[in-house]
Amino acid sequence: MKQFLRSAIAGVLGLSISLVAVGGPEDDRLAFKKYYENKFPDTPTEDFANGVYSILPAAREQWEAIEEFPPYELAVEEGETLYNSKFANGKSLVDCFGPEGAVRSEYPFWDKDRGLVITMERAVNECRKANGEKPYGWKKGKITAVTAYMSFNSRGQEVKVEVPSDDPRALAAYEDGKEHFYTKRGQLNFACADCHMLTAGALYRADTSSPAFGHATSWPVFRSKWQSMGTLHRRFAGCHKNIRANPYKAQGTEYSNLEYFVTYMSNGLEFNGPAARK
Amino acid sequence: MRKVLIIATLASLVSMNTLAASNVGANKIIKEATAAYKQVAKDTSYQWTVSVKAIKAAQKAYDAGNFTSAEKLARQALDLVDATRIQARIEAKTWQMRVPK
Repeated sequence: MKQFLRSAIAGVLGLSISLVAVGGPEDDRLAFKKYYENKFPDTPTEDFANGVYSILPAAREQWEAIEEFPPYELAVEEGETLYNSKFANGKSLVDCFGPEGAVRSEYPFWDKDRGLVITMERAVNECRKANGEKPYGWKKGKITAVTAYMSFNSRGQEVKVEVPSDDPRALAAYEDGKEHFYTKRGQLNFACADCHMLTAGALYRADTSSPAFGHATSWPVFRSKWQSMGTLHRRFAGCHKNIRANPYKAQGTEYSNLEYFVTYMSNGLEFNGPAARK
Repeated sequence: MRKVLIIATLASLVSMNTLAASNVGANKIIKEATAAYKQVAKDTSYQWTVSVKAIKAAQKAYDAGNFTSAEKLARQALDLVDATRIQARIEAKTWQMRVPK
């Protein structure tokens, strides 16, 4: 009897340990969200979509003043023109994404047919290519104008990235992005998680590092440092350069999977791009 | 006079030999560093910008005929590539420790 009890207890313990170890994306997300809510108890959960301004009252005031005449406004206007401009074949982006392109919450998604993560930028360029047009560059310029317009029209949509359970490749892509986020790189030996999770809110020289929860909601952004608009992948590359790691290709597998993970972590928040950031 | 000529010839032969040796040595290490840099990227997907800079600087010094400096910089690049590989090895085992549970 004793032996039976011991085996039963061992079995239950083993099962619970393996359940903890196997925790899927949703468990990850809940733990991720809880981490930031505990770290910044004064920040309302939905406010994490505002990046560093959700935790820095003084900087927030400046940001709110900037938002009165937002520097991304010109990009939105240019984006509207580009969005409605006819391709040589007479079609336009409207034919791919509808009259206003308010489709932000559909991206990024896992494409089962092709076995890869599709970001909104990729979808825009694939639409152009399918209609015989040259794709835009991936990091800045016209791609940010078009996606700024589309994001602007999508404001308030909920982030609801899915990792389909019937395709193990989707989970593999998610796990790849997750590993990327937590893995130290570059000569300075930093992981995304080091700055934007473990020491989020701390000063790096004169800048406060932003929380990663809500990081993916506001793109594209006008960054004061760039004095121009940029995509999320442009920012990823900048972060990698900062830590002296060679950046990966924008819209390549590494950054697309990272975007997949980071955006999934923001599920439940609202898309609020385009935005102004430091 | 003969003695002077012999000594001068020997001295120039020795210095040319030393120069040639440095030249070959630096070139070899630059190639080693370049190959190691590519290999570690292929094996781990990790690359450091400073390794590229060191390799480029070594090549520049080599092209300028500064073989001692070229060799030193190429050895630095090799060290950086080694460190990159070690980082990748450690991270493959430890990254999960940072995931909140």
